[in-house]
Amino acid sequence: MNVNVGDVVPSFVRQTEFANWNRYAAVNDEFVPIHMDDEAGAAAGNGGAFGMGNLQWAYLHNMLRDWMGPNGTILTMEVQFRSINHKNQIVSAKGVVTAVDGDVVTLEVWTEQQEGTKLAPGTATVRIPA
Amino acid sequence: MPDTYLVPEVLAATGRAVSTATSYPVSASDIRKWALAVYYPAQPPQYFIDTQYAPEDFDPFAWGPKSHESFLPGDDSGIWHRHGINQRALGFPEWKFIVSMNAGMKVEYGVRMQVGDVITDVKSCGQYTERQGRNGLMLISQSISTWTNQRGELVKRTTNSGISY
Repeated sequence: MNVNVGDVVPSFVRQTEFANWNRYAAVNDEFVPIHMDDEAGAAAGNGGAFGMGNLQWAYLHNMLRDWMGPNGTILTMEVQFRSINHKNQIVSAKGVVTAVDGDVVTLEVWTEQQEGTKLAPGTATVRIPA
Repeated sequence: MPDTYLVPEVLAATGRAVSTATSYPVSASDIRKWALAVYYPAQPPQYFIDTQYAPEDFDPFAWGPKSHESFLPGDDSGIWHRHGINQRALGFPEWKFIVSMNAGMKVEYGVRMQVGDVITDVKSCGQYTERQGRNGLMLISQSISTWTNQRGELVKRTTNSGISY
């Protein structure tokens, strides 16, 4: 796999709603009212129920895996949770290559909603065998 | 709201190991369900359906550990803190925070988790800092989880950052 600085990783895109959040809550035990109930989310000042940061984290991993294939390895990832993932948003996990050192590739990664607002920006390093 | 959160008990906590937990063995069903949830509504990659290994973000402690133990002498609650740290047992003042939120995370990965793996988590305190925000003085706290498998290999080291005010 030939990788160069500036390469754009194909996005991993999902419309996020209770169908996604309920499934994630079921495997990650995140039956937290702010993620399950619009009234609880609104009471917390977020307008309604909102998505889990850990699911954004998972989408970023999915994006990198789908790009690298089964021989690639995620070495590190770091993100900040900056904005709320509201119900029915189209969330895209994205990445762009910022450095290549042998088989180790550094990327800027982030999730964003359909209007381009970044939800969870960060960085990752991966190993991609030649 | 205090003048500072960085009292001696807080500053002394950095680097202190606070608890350990051991997972149930990772099952093929655990891996499949996790992959189905994070790829929904599409199917996950076949290597997760075949359960060659678990997604990096898979958490074998999600529904509780098989066993756990606190290292803190004052922690007799018997409660397992999956993400956070029992600050009361560390002697922190009992601040009344209005908001506590997950601010971010940083992970260094080692070997992949596979079916049958038993994961051990050792949790310790990271750095504590504070800064002024729109809502007043905020405490930024880190907790560090180090996971190893039954062979003693590093699975991952996670630094979680939280903001409270």
